[in-house]
Amino acid sequence: MPGASSDSGGGALVPISPESQGALVYPLRHGLKSPISRLSISWSRGNSLRVSVFAAPYSGSSVEDDAGGKVVEVKLGGGDGEISDAHWRRIAYGSVSPFALLQSRKNAVSSLSKMSMNSSPYNADWWDYIMEYSRDINALLGSQRSASVPVIDDPKSIIMKGEEPTSLKAAWELLEMFYAESASHSWLPECLVDWLADYDSLFSGTHPTVHSKLVDFQKELVNMQVVEDNPKYWEVMSSALAVGWLDIVVKMLRLHGSYQLDQLSNRETENGLVEAVAVLISKMPRMRLDQEAGKLGECFNARPDFVKAWEKWRGQINKLDSSAFWFQCAHQQTREGLRSMLQIMLGNANCLCSATCHWIELYISHLLYIRPFIVGLENMYSLAQKSIQLKPMASAHRLMGLIIGILGENTEVVLAECLKGFGPWMVAHAMELLTAGSDNAEMLLHEERQNLGGISIEELHRLVYAQVLSSHPLTWQIAPIYLISCMKHGMVLLQILLSQQPVQDNQLLLKSIEICRLYELHSVTSNIMKIAGVHHWKHGRKGSGVFWLQQARDEYRLNRIAQQLFDTVGKTISDDSFKQWEGLIQLLGSDSKTAGGLEFLHKYRHFKKSLQHVCDGKTTDAARQAVESLITLMKNPSTPQRFYLPLLHDSLKLLNWKDRPLLNVSQTNLLLTKLQDLSMARLRPDFIESELPPQAVNAVRLALATNLGRAILEE
Amino acid sequence: MAQNPSLVHRIPQSKYIDAIRWLSPVSALDRFAAVAYYDTDTNSPSIEIICVDPNPEGSSPTLTPQSSWTPPSRISSLKTAHSTHQPLLAAATFSGSIHILASDLINGGTMESEATVSELGFHSGPVSAVDLREGGTECVSVGEDGRVNLVSFVGDSSKLSYRRIFDANGLVGYTAVKWASPSEFATGGYGFGLQWWDQRKPGGPVSQFKGNWCQGKTSGIVHSIDIHPSRKHTCLAGGSSGTVFAWDLRAQQQPIVLSGAGTDEAPISLLSESEVWEVQYDRYTRSSNTSNISSTRILPIMICSEDGILAVIEQGEEPLELLAEPCAINSFDIDQQNPSDVICSLEWESIAILTRS
Repeated sequence: MPGASSDSGGGALVPISPESQGALVYPLRHGLKSPISRLSISWSRGNSLRVSVFAAPYSGSSVEDDAGGKVVEVKLGGGDGEISDAHWRRIAYGSVSPFALLQSRKNAVSSLSKMSMNSSPYNADWWDYIMEYSRDINALLGSQRSASVPVIDDPKSIIMKGEEPTSLKAAWELLEMFYAESASHSWLPECLVDWLADYDSLFSGTHPTVHSKLVDFQKELVNMQVVEDNPKYWEVMSSALAVGWLDIVVKMLRLHGSYQLDQLSNRETENGLVEAVAVLISKMPRMRLDQEAGKLGECFNARPDFVKAWEKWRGQINKLDSSAFWFQCAHQQTREGLRSMLQIMLGNANCLCSATCHWIELYISHLLYIRPFIVGLENMYSLAQKSIQLKPMASAHRLMGLIIGILGENTEVVLAECLKGFGPWMVAHAMELLTAGSDNAEMLLHEERQNLGGISIEELHRLVYAQVLSSHPLTWQIAPIYLISCMKHGMVLLQILLSQQPVQDNQLLLKSIEICRLYELHSVTSNIMKIAGVHHWKHGRKGSGVFWLQQARDEYRLNRIAQQLFDTVGKTISDDSFKQWEGLIQLLGSDSKTAGGLEFLHKYRHFKKSLQHVCDGKTTDAARQAVESLITLMKNPSTPQRFYLPLLHDSLKLLNWKDRPLLNVSQTNLLLTKLQDLSMARLRPDFIESELPPQAVNAVRLALATNLGRAILEE
Repeated sequence: MAQNPSLVHRIPQSKYIDAIRWLSPVSALDRFAAVAYYDTDTNSPSIEIICVDPNPEGSSPTLTPQSSWTPPSRISSLKTAHSTHQPLLAAATFSGSIHILASDLINGGTMESEATVSELGFHSGPVSAVDLREGGTECVSVGEDGRVNLVSFVGDSSKLSYRRIFDANGLVGYTAVKWASPSEFATGGYGFGLQWWDQRKPGGPVSQFKGNWCQGKTSGIVHSIDIHPSRKHTCLAGGSSGTVFAWDLRAQQQPIVLSGAGTDEAPISLLSESEVWEVQYDRYTRSSNTSNISSTRILPIMICSEDGILAVIEQGEEPLELLAEPCAINSFDIDQQNPSDVICSLEWESIAILTRS
């Protein structure tokens, strides 16, 4: 995955290898028929490019079928060959909860240790938390291998085919072994033996391995009649023994022809030797905590016991090696094969070197048979260096670099190898293990660095991972979890991320708003709402636009769009289409604060309704109510001037009420003043004339004057 | 987490799930569901019929795709009709079209498009919700453009005829719709507003439920509506801020708030503060039969929310949380035949199948 590139300048943490893998060709499927005149290339989401293809200006006769251009997206890079994009996303989703849980525990622990001042944050609970985190992540990367045991045990199936292992899981287990399992340091060598047993097949792609030898032999085994005559049988067994796969070796030994009933009598000595070696192999003392069921070897978890048992076992092998029975063994291949296996168990360096394929296998064989009592990473590291010298390789697998980094206790190398080999996800999550127990690593990774813009290496890698997440439309929602754990730049980047989300779709918009709510980013919320409101408004969805602007309490924009709305209101609201407006007016509610200038619509509707009642029933009470709402409308400063005349014209009936004048003197005066204001406003150039007949003003003026006269008389 | 023993299986998919529905089973053994997927890697939407094998050995159920159909754009709403001889699907898209699909579950779950409305002017912009009438001859579609369309199909014609029931010209936007009876349906929209429509009385909604009942404190959008066939006077709605409320048409303007924001006086246990994406009446009753519940009481309902809650709410009781996921539950469906089974679509590209016991 790209995106992890840092500046090529002085502050580069990870050197970008200049070796190019040759040019890659991405075909463009633009489907344009006419020749292309121009190309424009820009970054799109994630690691895809947006290419705009412009056709040459058209000179032909018909224009019907061809577009003038097309925009296509080109996805760069295949990513990790081992893990598909969808699988990466699944890992990303799954690691959110363990990461978040660990962060909150960290915070709790650090606040606790601040309170008590002296206690170390690394107590027993702490290691449990780290281990739980590591196990949760490990479980995400694939199920445990060698879980399935076949119901019918096929004697000729020597190697079990489980789920295909991934390098990612192998790498995580390495980190877990060295950094999370603090208590397991004395049985690290045995952990490595198990690790190689699980993951040796990963190296098969680039190097010959013991695993691939076994797989090849398995294929031939089906057609083999007398296995012990085949030199490959002995070679493969020696190799498997060298890397400590005892159960496979013993199972293979039992395939030896001397076990067959018809041959047992005349090959008695030979069979005795084979069985003796098999028993010795299955009694090999091992320094480990527990043994899985079905695995061979005798376990010791205390060093003195182990040393004692080891010496005894070695003695037994030596005794067998120098026994006289070998001269009685007639079968040459068996004799030589078994003795070379004894040499391996006796730690003959040359035998080990020829039995193993690559340096990790050689390293494991040295740990098993030459230096079983090795202690300390320093010694393990120098042994690894020696193994590499004995078995140099042209190209190193990404796991090999990681092992060297870990054994060399070089945190920076480990980080760089993680990033190079496994991408930003690995670095961001492995960081927790690296800093778990080592104060040195913690200081190194948490130190604020000038060349990184004042942030720590830990924060840098979290930000990088968050950027990778942000660039995908499905994973951007989990980026905030990582961003908020970044003290310096996290919050700002989170605000930018949220502000960049598309607002067209309500569901997505609401998901963004939900994240804002969680992190109390109220200003971002209201910004997003404003953008959404204007977007909807521009696309003719006036109701949606008004809603979002109201939610954002954006009076300024509400007032602006109110002016536009009134243009349409003036034309349509008077008639049947009032039903359309009904919903919008309801949405506005009676709360004038959130409605802005649109509050007018609410009062207008009220007035219209009461006027309707007057026309239907003609009761004086209804008419009085209508007058009340007319007066409130005219008094209200938010009533646009252009509505004065239509309002008064609509109320002619009220002004000329037959029974008695409905408006008193002051009310009539108010209306007259407003009419006066209107004639003044008319002189201004920006005045919008209502669509009423020209005599309307006169009719209203006359009615008002009459009413005034009647009102004076009445008073 | 979950307060009662129920079996949950989460099955990761490699595509985003826009909508998910059970299909009524044709035999006792096979269970089918319709899923609207969106593949972000290829930018391609699809509707797939999947066979759900519950896997009696106790391990995770398997989903086997049976057939697939490619819509012109992403699916915004997916509904099924149960009382037809073969399951019918109504799918609405973001590009403003509606597709009626029929699936033949007996012969390998093939699916074909029966009919399509996609002409210009049907909806401008996305169709936000669609509902199929039981019996499956008509569906109603609504959009934020304010259009309410009635699509009727007789069967063999591939072009559907549609009738515009109302056009609010964008002044009002609708986000949810549900049939109540052969002639009536309810819609929901912004500001927690609900509208009741009757085809026999054209020209606009028959009745409107004022949206601003929460006094401007928090307003929101209705995302989903359900109406129980035996309680047609009550319209159940779920929306923003964890709000679930019922509108009893007989008590016009007073909402019955079941969860979330609402009136100050009644302390309602707050289940969720985020969007309630879907509400459905929960036909799975634990003890008492529904006919005993008085007609003023709201029947048990199930909701799913943005903060990952799947819960059953009963009026006046503590809500029962069935799932609490770390990601959003975007939609769910209760199996009509086996109401103990619920299928959910999760934000993190996975499907959850829940079996209550």
